[in-house]
Amino acid sequence: MANTNDAGVEALRRLQQIDPPSLLAPNPSVSETARSASQYLFTTLRPFSPKSPLDELLVDGYDAEQIWHQIDLQSQPLLSTLRRRLNQFVKNPEEIAQFKVPLDVGKKLEKKKRVELEEEESDDFDEELDDDDDDFEGVEKKKAKGGSEGEDDFEEEDDEDEEGSEDEDDEEDEKEKVKGGGIEDKFLKIDELTEYLEKEEDNYEKGEERDEADEDSEEDDELEKAGEFEMDDEDDDDDDEEDEEAEDMGNVRYEDFFGGKNEKGSKRKDQLLEVSGDEDDMESTKQKKRTASTYEKQREKIQSKIVLMEKANIEPKTWTMQGEVTASKRPINSAFEVDLDFEHNVRPTPVITEEVTASIEEMIQKKIVEGLFNDVQRAPKLPSKAPREVKQLDDNKSGQGLADLYEQEYVQKTDPTSAPLSFKDELKNEASTLFKKICLKLDALSHFNFAPKPVIEDMSFQTNVPALAMEEIAPVAVSDAAMLAPEEVFDGKGDVKEEAELTQAERKRRRANKKRKFKAEAVNKLEKKARLEKKADNAISCQVDG
Amino acid sequence: MNGMKCIICCTMASSSMEVDNVLSEQKVLPPKPKFEPLKPHEMPGAAVQFRKVSVPPHRYTPLKKVWMDIYTPVFEQMKIDIRMNLKGRKVELKTRHDTPDISNLQKCADFVHAFMLGFDVIDAIAILRLDELYVESFEIKDVKTLRGDHLSRAIGRLSGKGGKTKFTIENASKTRIVIADTKIHILGSFANIKIARDSLCYLIMGSPAGKVYSKLRAVTSRMAERF
Repeated sequence: MANTNDAGVEALRRLQQIDPPSLLAPNPSVSETARSASQYLFTTLRPFSPKSPLDELLVDGYDAEQIWHQIDLQSQPLLSTLRRRLNQFVKNPEEIAQFKVPLDVGKKLEKKKRVELEEEESDDFDEELDDDDDDFEGVEKKKAKGGSEGEDDFEEEDDEDEEGSEDEDDEEDEKEKVKGGGIEDKFLKIDELTEYLEKEEDNYEKGEERDEADEDSEEDDELEKAGEFEMDDEDDDDDDEEDEEAEDMGNVRYEDFFGGKNEKGSKRKDQLLEVSGDEDDMESTKQKKRTASTYEKQREKIQSKIVLMEKANIEPKTWTMQGEVTASKRPINSAFEVDLDFEHNVRPTPVITEEVTASIEEMIQKKIVEGLFNDVQRAPKLPSKAPREVKQLDDNKSGQGLADLYEQEYVQKTDPTSAPLSFKDELKNEASTLFKKICLKLDALSHFNFAPKPVIEDMSFQTNVPALAMEEIAPVAVSDAAMLAPEEVFDGKGDVKEEAELTQAERKRRRANKKRKFKAEAVNKLEKKARLEKKADNAISCQVDG
Repeated sequence: MNGMKCIICCTMASSSMEVDNVLSEQKVLPPKPKFEPLKPHEMPGAAVQFRKVSVPPHRYTPLKKVWMDIYTPVFEQMKIDIRMNLKGRKVELKTRHDTPDISNLQKCADFVHAFMLGFDVIDAIAILRLDELYVESFEIKDVKTLRGDHLSRAIGRLSGKGGKTKFTIENASKTRIVIADTKIHILGSFANIKIARDSLCYLIMGSPAGKVYSKLRAVTSRMAERF
């Protein structure tokens, strides 16, 4: 490995020295060097990308495109994790300070735990920050641990930093608060974490036996680890293995925490517990079994679901899904449990509530007040044709004899003009005659103009009719008002006043005139009387004399 | 008989015409003879013909009342001798020497017979005046067999209240109807008799009067429209 390393480094150096223009032309030696360099880089980066399917870069007989694709396969996840780690560092610059130079390997275990604790916290943080990138979680963790961007030096530095921080924490057992102070955020609270872990510890002890059986988990399960608070599965064996691994490798690597691909890793949670409680107790009691990571757990869930669904698909469907089902094909009273949906062709009966009644009554009252009754009105029948004359059936004994009847019929046939009056016509005639009589009388009352007597057509034999019928021009009715002359109507002169209109003076004058006249008459009478008496005396005297 | 005579004359005339044409030069035939219709007493059969119409007891008194109304038109206008055989309760009719037409006797006999059936004189007189008047008689049992109450009800339905229904049918169909217990006589022209008979049959069979009226109305209006 050292040879290849050196060769690789040499190749890299050589590449650096090549001037860029010469790269444009195809050069087999340059390509050879480039391939070896990339191979070296690939192999160095391989430990940090556990998910990559290739152990080494295959260059012999491979196209540039293919080599590039291999490199891409490895580097893409690496890049994303590095980016994330960088972002995290940008947000929490104090974390960078925690990366220190690694002191010694002997404290690897504790350091590892510290690192794992850190990582757990940071990874928890990561996870909280991240979306559902389950595939890359392991890598993330690795990266978080490494903290580099695909360069060994940076990785080493980070490791050293972490280990340094671990040392510090080792010295102070309960300096989790400081750590927490650095790592803690609004999402992560160490106190809550410890509480939860204690609870899970109890659960773990119950489930320990169960988990021992599941030691040989899949690669994916191994990748899903710390940060999952549900799983507390650990194995003491794994612990020991880890210790060995830690001792074997100089740097802290993925395998230190999560073990090899075939081994379960320890929970970082457990490291937290160790930090909080007695580390030794934790080590002894808890097994650092490879617990399932988040992704593994989810996959398990999905798998179980899949199994269930497949089983359901194989089995015959429930009766509700079977299409047309008669009562015999389904269990008794099963229709009650299912919410069946079918069309109701009938409008649902209206629920009579107080509001409904009130609304109806209100409507009725309003209509009464307005007088707006929607009485059904008969549609006017259009007059299609003139109404036919309906023959009236006469139920009286006919006055004419049968012979007369047939005679009439014959006459009607031969001479259409001499049609006898129908019943209706007779009534009409009677009505018109009466009306004419009345009109004559009314005219006589209202007009002084002469109106001739109305002609009443009456076919009857009148024996004593005079030969001539002279019209009288004299008016039927006469009034005196037309005859009198105006002075005859009114005899008087001047301004004639009513009794009420007269003034006091005029009344007096009138009375005075009356008295004067009366007096004059009285005087005349007396004179007449006197004369008569005189004559009588004379006569008597004459007689006496004579 | 007269008609037949005419036809014979015609044929003879035509043949004579042809003969005339053919033999125009040869001979001039005498003019076609014109024969007047035979008087009854000139007819080959018995010179005088009789008819005897028996008088039912319920028509005896009415006959006595209207005898002169019957006698006058028969004797003076129809020129038929008429007399009443009181003992035999018969009206006897005899042709005279100046009876113009042999059918007069039959007409008078029909007239008297119609009166005996129950028709009024003024109605029966129409037989004398018109040629085509007939009397049809039928019984209720011919239409529908009814007994007891049903029969009485049927008779009542036919007449109507105060004779209303009967008069309605008479007026509408220009006929005269006589309902004598279970016998029905209709006097009128052939078509009118049919109308009246149909209406009466409906009534016998149970139709209400209103329905019969509507039918009558329809029929008579149709008849009237025809002219």
